[in-house]
Amino acid sequence: MFYREAVYRPLGDLYLTVEFGDELNLLLNFRVIALDTALRATSIPGVTETIPTNRSLGIVYDPFVTTRERLVGQLKEIEQRMGEITELPSRHITIPIWYNDSWSQECAKAHGAPNNLEYMAEINHTSVGDVIRAHAATEWWVSAVGFQPACYQALPLDPAFSVSAPKYPRPRKWTPERILCQAGKLTSFYPVRSPGGYQLLGRTPIELYDPKQQSPVFRDGPVLPRVSDRHTYVPIDEVTYWQIRRQYEAGAYEYQIQEGSYRLQDYVDKLAVQSRHRVQQAPGSV
Amino acid sequence: MVFEVLDGGPQSTIQDAGRPGYLATGMPPSGAADRFALGVGNLLVGNDPGERYLVGRRPGSAGLEVLLSGLKLRVLAETVIAVTGADLTAMLDDSPLPMWQTVRVRPGNTVAFRRPRAGARAYVAVAGGIDVPVFAGSRATNVRAFVGGIDGRAIKKGDVITTLAPRRALGHLEGRRLRDSLVPRFDGRWRVRVVLGPQDDLFLEESIGTFLTYDWRLSPTSDRMGCRFVGPKLEFKPRPAYLVDQAGADPSNIVDDTIPVGGIQVPSGLEPIVLHVDGPSLGGYAKIATVISADLGQVGQMRPGEIANFEAVSTSEAVEALRKLEDSISEASVVRS
Repeated sequence: MFYREAVYRPLGDLYLTVEFGDELNLLLNFRVIALDTALRATSIPGVTETIPTNRSLGIVYDPFVTTRERLVGQLKEIEQRMGEITELPSRHITIPIWYNDSWSQECAKAHGAPNNLEYMAEINHTSVGDVIRAHAATEWWVSAVGFQPACYQALPLDPAFSVSAPKYPRPRKWTPERILCQAGKLTSFYPVRSPGGYQLLGRTPIELYDPKQQSPVFRDGPVLPRVSDRHTYVPIDEVTYWQIRRQYEAGAYEYQIQEGSYRLQDYVDKLAVQSRHRVQQAPGSV
Repeated sequence: MVFEVLDGGPQSTIQDAGRPGYLATGMPPSGAADRFALGVGNLLVGNDPGERYLVGRRPGSAGLEVLLSGLKLRVLAETVIAVTGADLTAMLDDSPLPMWQTVRVRPGNTVAFRRPRAGARAYVAVAGGIDVPVFAGSRATNVRAFVGGIDGRAIKKGDVITTLAPRRALGHLEGRRLRDSLVPRFDGRWRVRVVLGPQDDLFLEESIGTFLTYDWRLSPTSDRMGCRFVGPKLEFKPRPAYLVDQAGADPSNIVDDTIPVGGIQVPSGLEPIVLHVDGPSLGGYAKIATVISADLGQVGQMRPGEIANFEAVSTSEAVEALRKLEDSISEASVVRS
């Protein structure tokens, strides 16, 4: 749900969060980003870091400079002053994916799980090809970055995207690095080998995390994904995977990144179309 | 060149006061698991102890964080060190190496940690501070993210450790020690203060009581990322049905939000996990409480099997405790013997 008023939660002596709701909904995320943007423009004394998530903004503050009470007061003021945001700066990044790659298949097998894409196709009453087509057809909005460096969460910008995936009942002990995955309608990513419970979709030959910062795209830091980026995933085959991987390793891969912005109304309009469509389809509706 | 590593032990890493500023990229702050111990060590050898954890600007000098035992160093050049934190039976050649004070070491000496006696992590501060490349403002090692320290990994046999130029002449550093009253006593029972929340409202009232009264035992499945505690199951209040779809089927699931350093998440109500300095910044389990920043070091010094008691305090008490801790990392705490 969307809360009528934001909830302020204490997290020890150095953090608090401003929470706008408890569901996965892009409109909530836009609100989080709007507060983050407004807060950055205001520069409140004592605030040292902000951490946007899907539905809340984490704020780190210096308790020797400010107090939680004073900070909450200032944040509430900003919230009230904050107008409707209509557009956000947003990069578009194209990321090649070898869907249903051999590493994902092996990883599932090693953990006694069925082929993850076949499983997703089955529970969504569709085919593996259609799951991949649907996943590659929508743009994805990066709504949170965290858990580990360059791990991100992204929500579909096309409200018609309907493929859903349950989490593993028991998390995997390991997942190969550079694997794209999905739980619910959230796409996520394993930048480095790590445990996890999302369904495995495929693997990208390019790095989104590079602690050595070899490519110019990592000039400002080792982590590429940023909240409010849009991603398009392009299906590639095994041969192309290796071509791009070799290019990447030779330092010759050129990241496909376009600076730009996103009009939030576009999403709201799509939502309206989608809900009209749903009403028309609903059996027995008047 | 100051030390050659003869044995790296189970996990010895180069740490300073950490790498704040990158939480929104998922990069944990890392840094010493016991900020007080490394800070005092640095102070004793004339280094910068760094500013406060997470909100300070200067990470201070880098030293070694030694887990349990096994680390063995050969001294290659004359310098002054201070060993602080856990008592891991530090030895200088065949003699016990006195802790919480400066010690002059000479080429050919070996410094070794034989056996943990009290606490889990010792720190070796060395005059000048360890010289490794600064990554994103800090030298702190995070082995999971492959950054900081030497090639983003724990130190190992064969590594050579170099230092920056000492800020004071070695002779001036001799005889400096921490005031006795400030030396922590680790007796294996730990009082860990917490501020309740952010999601204590999701737990049953009785379970909050259990959390605050039980003798929680540290599990061996603990590290710089998270410290897991064994005890009774904590129960959740009934929740609205839409959360099953939005957050997950388990009653402990929430829609992912910020995990603070010190946040205590309780997946499925089993085994509360204190997320520590290398911990995740985002996660989908209810967090019953947050360890106050002044007591993070206490958790970092626990050994598996030891008991913690969590005690709820207010945020202002937590800030006072932090002020006291930070004030004690100062020249006024140093005496000459």
